[in-house]
Order: sequence, then C-alpha cells, then structure tokens
Amino acid sequence: MNYIPISDKDKKEMFDSIGVKDTQELLSLQIPETLRVKKLNLDKGMSEQELISLFKQYAQKNKSNLACFRGAGIYDHFVPSIVDEIIGRSEFWTAYTPYQAEASQGTLQAIFEYQSVICELTGMECSNASMYDGATAVAEALLLAVRASRKNKIILSKALNPEYISVIETYTKNLNIEIIKIDIDSKTGAINKENLSGMLDESVAAVIVQSPNFFGTIEDMQELSKTAKDKKALFVAVVNPVSLGLLKTPGEYGADIAVGEGQVFGNQMYLGGSTFGFMAVTKALEWKMPGRIVGQTVDKDGKRGFVLTLQSREQHIRREKATSNICTNAALNSFAACVYAAYLGSQGIKELSETNISKARYAFDKIKNIKGFVPLFENSLFFNEFVFKTDKNIDKINEELMKENILGPLDLGKIDSKYKNCVMFAVTEKRTKQEIDKLAEILTRV
Amino acid sequence: MYPLGSCTMKHNPLVNEKIAKFEEFSSIHPYQNEESMQGSLEIMYELQKDLCEISGMDYFTLQPAAGAHGEYTGLLIIAQYFKNKNEKRTKIIVPDSAHGTNPASAALSGFEIVSLKSDENGIVSPEKLKEVLNSDVAAMMMTNPNTLGVFEKNIEEISKLIHDNGSLLYYDGANLNAVMGIVRPADIGFDVMHINLHKTFSTPHGGGGPGSGPVGVKAFLKECLPSPVVIKEDNKFKLYFNDGKKSIGRMKAFYGNFPVILKACAYIKSLGGEGLTQASKQAVINANYILSKLKSKVKVPAGNSCMHEFAMSLKGALGGDIKTLDVAKRLLDNGYYAPTIYFPLIVEEAMMIEPTETESKQTLDEFIETLLNIIEESKTNPEVVHNAPVNTSVKRLNEVEAARKPKLHW
Ligand SMILES: Cc1ncc(COP(=O)(O)O)c(C=O)c1O
Repeated sequence: MNYIPISDKDKKEMFDSIGVKDTQELLSLQIPETLRVKKLNLDKGMSEQELISLFKQYAQKNKSNLACFRGAGIYDHFVPSIVDEIIGRSEFWTAYTPYQAEASQGTLQAIFEYQSVICELTGMECSNASMYDGATAVAEALLLAVRASRKNKIILSKALNPEYISVIETYTKNLNIEIIKIDIDSKTGAINKENLSGMLDESVAAVIVQSPNFFGTIEDMQELSKTAKDKKALFVAVVNPVSLGLLKTPGEYGADIAVGEGQVFGNQMYLGGSTFGFMAVTKALEWKMPGRIVGQTVDKDGKRGFVLTLQSREQHIRREKATSNICTNAALNSFAACVYAAYLGSQGIKELSETNISKARYAFDKIKNIKGFVPLFENSLFFNEFVFKTDKNIDKINEELMKENILGPLDLGKIDSKYKNCVMFAVTEKRTKQEIDKLAEILTRV
Repeated sequence: MYPLGSCTMKHNPLVNEKIAKFEEFSSIHPYQNEESMQGSLEIMYELQKDLCEISGMDYFTLQPAAGAHGEYTGLLIIAQYFKNKNEKRTKIIVPDSAHGTNPASAALSGFEIVSLKSDENGIVSPEKLKEVLNSDVAAMMMTNPNTLGVFEKNIEEISKLIHDNGSLLYYDGANLNAVMGIVRPADIGFDVMHINLHKTFSTPHGGGGPGSGPVGVKAFLKECLPSPVVIKEDNKFKLYFNDGKKSIGRMKAFYGNFPVILKACAYIKSLGGEGLTQASKQAVINANYILSKLKSKVKVPAGNSCMHEFAMSLKGALGGDIKTLDVAKRLLDNGYYAPTIYFPLIVEEAMMIEPTETESKQTLDEFIETLLNIIEESKTNPEVVHNAPVNTSVKRLNEVEAARKPKLHW
C-alpha cells in the first residue's frame, strides 16, 4: 500500500508540464547524484490484511486489561464512550493547528472550552492550550517562575513524581538554575511547613509542591503556599484533576502556577503516552506563559469567534526570545479531558473524587489488617494512592497477582533504594470490591 | 486539501487508527514489567530500527513528544557531548530561513544563537558560513531541503567546514518527506536529527498534537541519548537506561507517545522501503507540477524546480493593496485550507505550498486553477478578496482586540 492516487497517465502529463522526462531527471535538478542512496533496506510493503495480522501478533504479546493497582503518575480511570466518539470526529482528529482561524473555529472553540475547564478546575485565571505531559509542564512552570521572578533558586519537593524530577534536571541542565530539594516528614508523608520556612529566603524564585504527592499524601497546600509567599517566592502547585472535586483549588490557596498531568481525565494509559500536561497561571503571569493560547474575539460583523492570541510570546514570532520552544502540543488529549469534564459536570467530578477516596480507603484498611504490611506513613492523609512497608517478597506478590490478571502495587525500592521493601497501591473508581478483596486475599496468602 | 508548507498534511490511513485502538495497547500501564509488555516494546524497537535505516543514523530515541521537543533533545545531546569531552562551546548557528522552534530550542538548551543569512537563492553559502565559524560553535542546525523547498546542494562542503571546525551538524527532519529512499541525512554529514512522525509518517495532527519527534544520532553520541531506549537481548525486548552522568537524562515522563509511534510503525510496514521511496518521489513531482503552473505568475526564490514544497512570494503578483493574507483567506472561501503564509521569514509576502503525495492530480489541478483565479480576482475585483472569507462560519476575526483585552475562558 502506498496511498498514492496518481496514474501513469497523470504522471506523464505532470512531467510534461514540469519539462522533464522522468523522476530521475527531476531529482537531478536538485540533488547531486553522489549524495543519493541506492535503496532502503526495509521489509517489503504489506496489504492491510497482513498489517492487521502483524499487529494482532504484537498485541498478543502484551498482558493487557489487568485489574490495575499501579499508579505513580499514570492511572487506570474509566473513559466514557462519548470521549472517543467526539474527539475521533475527523474535523478534530485530522485537522491541523488552527493557524487559519476562520476555517478552524471548531478546534479553536474546543481549546477555549478546554482552557475554561482548566481555569474552573484549578481556580486560576489563565490556561494555555496544553503541554506535552505533566513532567514537561512542571519543568516549564519552573522556567516560567525563573523568568518572571528574575531569580534562579528553586525549592522542589522530594515527593514530586521522580520522573518529573528527572525531566526538571534535564531541562535545567545548561541553565544557571539552582535546585534545592525539601524532604517530607517520615510520619505524615507530607512537607513540614517549619522545614520549608527554614529553607526560604528572598532569593528563592519558587516553591514547587505536588499534592497529592508522589506517595499519595495530601499536602497542606494552604500553609505551604502562605509560607512561600511570605518570602516573596512564587508557589507552583502540581495537582491531580481527579482530586480537585474535593480538595481546595490552587486558586483558593493563592498558587501562582498550577500544573499537572491530564491523563487521568479521559485518556487511556497507553504505556504512559500520549497524555497532556496542563498549565494555568494568575493574570500577572499571562504574558510569560509558554505555549499556545486561544482567546475569544469578534469578527467583522461582531459575531463571536476564537483566535490564537498573545502570540508574540511564541517561537514563530519571537524565535530565541520566545517563552518556550513548544509548537505542536497535545491538542487531542487535552480535548479528551474537556469532553470528559463536560460529560461528568461539577457534581460528577465531585463524586468521582469521593469514589476514589472511599475505594482507596477500603483497600487501605483491608491491607492494614494483613500480617506483614505496615503503613509507611502512620499519619498520612491520602487521596487514591498509599504506601505500605512489607516484609514479604514483593516480586513474588506481583507474580502471583499477575497470574490472576491483577497488576499489583509498585515496588518503590526499584525507583529509590531509600524505599526498599515498600509498595505503593493506587485505587481508582474503576476497581471493584471483588477486585480489592481478591487483591487482599492474595496478599495474605503469599 | 491542506497544502500547508512545512507541515506534510498527508492522508492518515484508517487502518493505523484501527490498530492503535486495540485494548492490548491502550490498557498498558508504563510500570508493568517488561515481560508483560513485549508487544508494545517490540513495536518501539521496530520503529527505532526502521528509522535508523531510513535516516542512516545508528540509534534512535522515541521519547520526544513533538518536533520542537526533538530539537531540544538533539541540542541537549550536543551540549552533553561537548561536556563529556570537557570542551566549552557556546554557540549554535541557525540559518535565517529556519523555523522559529530552531532558535528557541537552542536558547532553551543554554546556547547563544548565531543567525546565518542565506544567500540570494535562499540557501546556506559556505563562504558566509566561514565568516561565523569559530571554536565557540557547537553545531549548526539545518533543514534540508530547507524551508524554501530547496535542497542545500553545498551540503558536502558545509559538512566538511563544520566538522573540520570540531562542530556538529543537526538535521531538522520536518522536511524528510522529500527525501525518503533518495538521500539519508546521516550519509550526507548530519550527526543528530529529529523526525516528525506527525508529518512524514502519516499520523494525524489532531488540531495541534499529540505528535512525536524521535531523535537519531550517530554511534559516537549513543551514550548521550535520553533514557530509556528499547533494546533486544536474548530475543526479549528491554528498556535500557543509559549511564546517568553521560546521558542527558529524561525528556518526558515514560517512553514516548505510544499511539503515534505505533501508527508510524504501521505506516512504514505498509509501504515498505519501495513504497516510502515512491511516496517521496511523488511528493516532489506534485510540488513541481504546481510550481510549473504558477511560476509565470509569481516569484519563486528557489527558481524553476523544488523538492516536496516551495515558497513563493506574492509581492507584485497581486492587484492594489491585496496581501498574501487576503489570498489565504480567499482560499478558505473556496474550500481549501490556506497554505502556510509569511514563512519562511526571508521571503516577502511568502506563501508556501506542500501538496504531499496523497492528493490526486484532479485535486492539484483544481487547486492551481483556484489560486490563479484569486490572483486574477485580486486585480479585477479586489474588494472580494479583501473581504474574504465569507463562506466560513465567521468572517475575518479581530486579532488585535483579542490580544489587547484577552478573554481566555468563559
Ligand atoms: C521546519 C520545522 N521545524 C520544526 C517544527 C516544529 O515541529 P513541532 O510542531 O512538531 O514541534 C516545524 C513545525 O511546523 C517545522 O515546520
């Protein structure tokens, strides 16, 4: 298959118009012969039927559709059918970046609605059109904070998702930015406000805290934000949209930048990508924000319409002075979140939050009663994820669970040796009582 | 039709979409053990391997999420390479015809940008390059064919100058659709490159993503690649993590935009080596065909032939005070998405046309006729062109007001 709808007769006419006799002659007008490659050493092309059967073979080599108790940044939430149906419409799916506004009102309004959803969820004033993922969104938030404050010292929670920390380290590698990490309290699993206060002075550009943090613990964002702002540092909140149905919004506790991973809203796990990152800021930071932004305006006749706006921040205009290099972002993934949020509504999102908390609590209580499992943080207030210390063989546990099509907890020791013998469970609304009971039963038995 | 220069809006095959929806792929958690995701890892491995063959590079990472993210990755790799060698190099040369993401990515990577003026034919001149080359230069970024749709024919000389200077050559693969099976970037002197899977390899744009911007390197840069990459050992596929000190680290969480990776892999498997070569050749023929029909009416800085796209200047071709923007808007009235306009920046009143190989001759003919009609109309009936579009859901939108008093949500 090659998807070329041109006949030999067409081709002949085209060559005549160009004034060459064949492709060889045409290419020789541009490319010196010595630079040409003879042929590509790839397999022969395939028919559609062959292709499907090849990918079915790949598919069968995966163990899929497991009852998933693993999270750590990517979560197994239910995606309603309406999401795929709407974002899958070719008007959205195959459209280009909406540079020609008048012919792209659908995409532009979709982004505007998305920005509105993010502002509503986070309580912030301005959202961009999306970032690549949660990790890059946090890294760009850090760069934004440095730009806006003209200071270069950042305090970062050690309980930020470790993948995000790695990305931040990569992004800041060649820039003159100093990063100081703040640890969590070993009893509460959360950052201690006095500790933060002790590390802060007016040379700090921003404090970056995730809540629920990597270990699932809900941080006291109100206090941490206040502590940061007392020393004129910006406060960057890394949040999980699913938790915002119940928890205070970043806007309410005075965050300057709210960012996070959006996969949890309407996107399948897909091996961790593609997802999207969201970023929302206060009005004061609007012109400093990276990425595309859609604004509402009117046309010549005064009719409501949408355009890409504040573009003089962006690379296609400002080149090396742009607020970021981002161009293509994650439009479809963010649109999925928009459809998801609209479908659930604010009451639905609140119920989603509650179901996550209550199912996680049910699982936590069950596991707490199993011999050999002790909560790592005795006083942790958690959302839908929590950590246990265990003296059992973690590999063996996960092997046994896998036999029953359960994806067991994450072995934290494999991520950070400090957390050897610790396992982290995620429990979303999708897990049933039967699945949780089965999990507990196997944990007891192994 | 979406004749968008630099964007390669080709047909998005349905079968690839169908395969990407298999639950065996969509329901995989990134922290499952490798044993339980062999199928997904194999697809990634296959794509890494095929991209190596297509580009001539030795290794690929699939982690970057888009073209600009790929550039950023590539430039960090270059910075890391010199750091590992204990060599201080602070500058990146970027031709003035380059896309805005090039200088922006270089700045983000901590480099200073040296802008290089193109010669009168819109290509890089070795003479001018010599003037800016010195021991501070880490690398030069090039798009080849460049953004005017012209193959940089002095590439061998440029490559020699760059490498003799101890610098590296970066390839922006946005225009790879022109040269598959014709030229391999690694063979003609490039050391690092990114590919836009959402352009050359047929995955849909989705109104602005998700994309994927894999980065390929020559063997001497292997240890700088981000982690993890997929390797094959004893017939098993594994995620391999590079040494933390020598590698740039991680560009995004997890491994890459998997559905995009899968669709690109499926595309390559469907076409095979011969099909990919045919695709590039036809893309070049289609662009030259349009060029042949327009060149008597407009200025084409590239001259009489081009690769898979060409930039033209509408300056002097239009009536009264009609601008390229007006022509673009009038195309919308006629049912076409407008070509890229005002890019590259070095062409005045630029319009940049890339038809791709997947349009029929009939479609191309209709497009040519429409464009010629509009150019004529700009002289005989300028008001109509100036007032366009009228057939879209809204008329011309007030962008100035949108930026002056931003309303960014309900
Ligand atoms: C020449 C060139 N380089 C880089 C890019 C950036 O790619 P992306 O939008 O995938 O980040 C583009 C995109 O239009 C381009 O045309």
